[in-house]
Amino acid sequence: MIASYELAVIGAGPAGMEAALAAAAAGVETAVIDGHPAPGGQVYMPLPAGFEASRPAGEETEGERLSRRLDAAPLARLWNAAVWGIFPDESGSGWSIALAGAEVPRRIHARLLILATGAYDTPVAFPGWTLPGVLTCGAALTLLKNQRIAPFRRVLVSGTGPLVLSAAAHLSAAGVAVAGVCEANRFSRRALRHAPTLLRESRRLGEGAGYLSRLLLAGTPYRTGWSVVEASGEGRVEKAVIARLDAAGAPLPGSERNVEVDGVIAGYGLTPNRGLAQMVGCRLEYLPQKGGWAPWRGENLQTSLPGVYCAGDCAGIAGAENSRLEGQIAGTAAARELGKITAQQAEDFSRRVRPAWAQQQRFARALAELYPLPPGLVSLLQEDTPLCRCEEVTLGAVKQAVAAGAQTLGEVKMLTRAGMGNCQGRMCERPVTAVLLRELGAGAAPETTGSYSVRPPLHPVPIGSLLEDEDS
Amino acid sequence: MRIKVTSKLLPEVRRGKPLRVAVNGKWVDAYAGETVAAVLLAEGIQVFRHTARARAPRGVYCGMGLCYECLVTVDEVRAVRACVTPVADGMRIEIDAEPAL
Repeated sequence: MIASYELAVIGAGPAGMEAALAAAAAGVETAVIDGHPAPGGQVYMPLPAGFEASRPAGEETEGERLSRRLDAAPLARLWNAAVWGIFPDESGSGWSIALAGAEVPRRIHARLLILATGAYDTPVAFPGWTLPGVLTCGAALTLLKNQRIAPFRRVLVSGTGPLVLSAAAHLSAAGVAVAGVCEANRFSRRALRHAPTLLRESRRLGEGAGYLSRLLLAGTPYRTGWSVVEASGEGRVEKAVIARLDAAGAPLPGSERNVEVDGVIAGYGLTPNRGLAQMVGCRLEYLPQKGGWAPWRGENLQTSLPGVYCAGDCAGIAGAENSRLEGQIAGTAAARELGKITAQQAEDFSRRVRPAWAQQQRFARALAELYPLPPGLVSLLQEDTPLCRCEEVTLGAVKQAVAAGAQTLGEVKMLTRAGMGNCQGRMCERPVTAVLLRELGAGAAPETTGSYSVRPPLHPVPIGSLLEDEDS
Repeated sequence: MRIKVTSKLLPEVRRGKPLRVAVNGKWVDAYAGETVAAVLLAEGIQVFRHTARARAPRGVYCGMGLCYECLVTVDEVRAVRACVTPVADGMRIEIDAEPAL
């Protein structure tokens, strides 16, 4: 028998945990699925099993509180379960979810889906970005906060947005010398326009200010309007080059400076991890202020596909607080669709939650305007810089494809193999798009160059997982 | 180990039980809960593999299991993501750290 649920929530970060809790509380038979050994996602990732934090008893983090509630809720928890495909059920009454993992069923069935698959650091390509020692902000933070290791002596942190400060401050606090912090955007009067929205998030502003003052007190050079432009070294990072950027984000010739480092931590904002939504068939739209391609959603966070909802950063970057609210909204909407709560109850809930949600959306818009991804960064690329890390496709090869007539990501993929590797194009979609837009010039837009297609298996999985379970 | 940190921004942590893993046949110390990537990095190893075409060195990049750059061989299973794979006592990890084949 294939286990069957009224709702499957995919992803157990802030959005997925809240969605599962809201649905289960309303009496929905819910399964929540995550590829990690425990819930939390990237932002609330718990310490690994076996590690123990010495903290006063009873003092819980937000993530621990959520995770404890999830453990106590009446629902099915499938951890260490990688979803590699979702297919319309043969009966036409829902979805068949294909899983890989040692201790999970190969398939489960669900009538409704809430996708809460989160986000990842936006890859920005530059010469040397494939060298060992170049890590994303997310990778550095996970190593520091979760694994408690700091495998560098001296690093450069470069990128844009709040994670740059967080990564730099955590590296510094862990005893790593931070040779410099480059924030690609300059602070401008644009910030003032968003002051009322920003000031309402005093806790988060305070956190950022704390990180910055810690860095400045430690004497860390902090530059705005600068970026890493190159990393180099024999087999691993030994040196980085930074440069001042012009208004478009292109490096200004003559402004380059060398920095001796053994690590470059790069974080240029976040990109929605929308692969599953796309594979299922949700219509995507290009939302530059929300991190790029993301599923279209209506006011109850329903996608273009009946029975499929998307919550949190996988549908547009807006942060953990927003994800939690969206999880509650989607979970409640699913409960309503299944008839577990009345229209009045759904309406009452909506009235309660929407003001906070609107504030989080305004805050996200403000951050997106203050920390856009500078388009000029594309000019960092050299002919031999790999854009597709998996298939080792260089800028030169992509330019040749454009010269041969390629006008979309799909055409570049066919001609060069860019995007065909293990990561399914997650790492090179943005860099290849940037090159396509530059090479094609006027008239080209992300809407015309498109996105990579996504097909099952979403991740490389052991061949046995692809076969139907014989005893099922 | 020197790179295992205490941080002024984080609560103190006690690591899991000590255990041993073999990296290319050489036994190294590790702790339950650590990922393969953390153990390699703690040993000062940044280069986990070389690419098929250019034999270019690669290591941890995204750190969250999405980029497939940190692939190593674990207990004879190839192409395992070091960043999301926890270590186990007696685990045998093979890396492709030498530029020339």
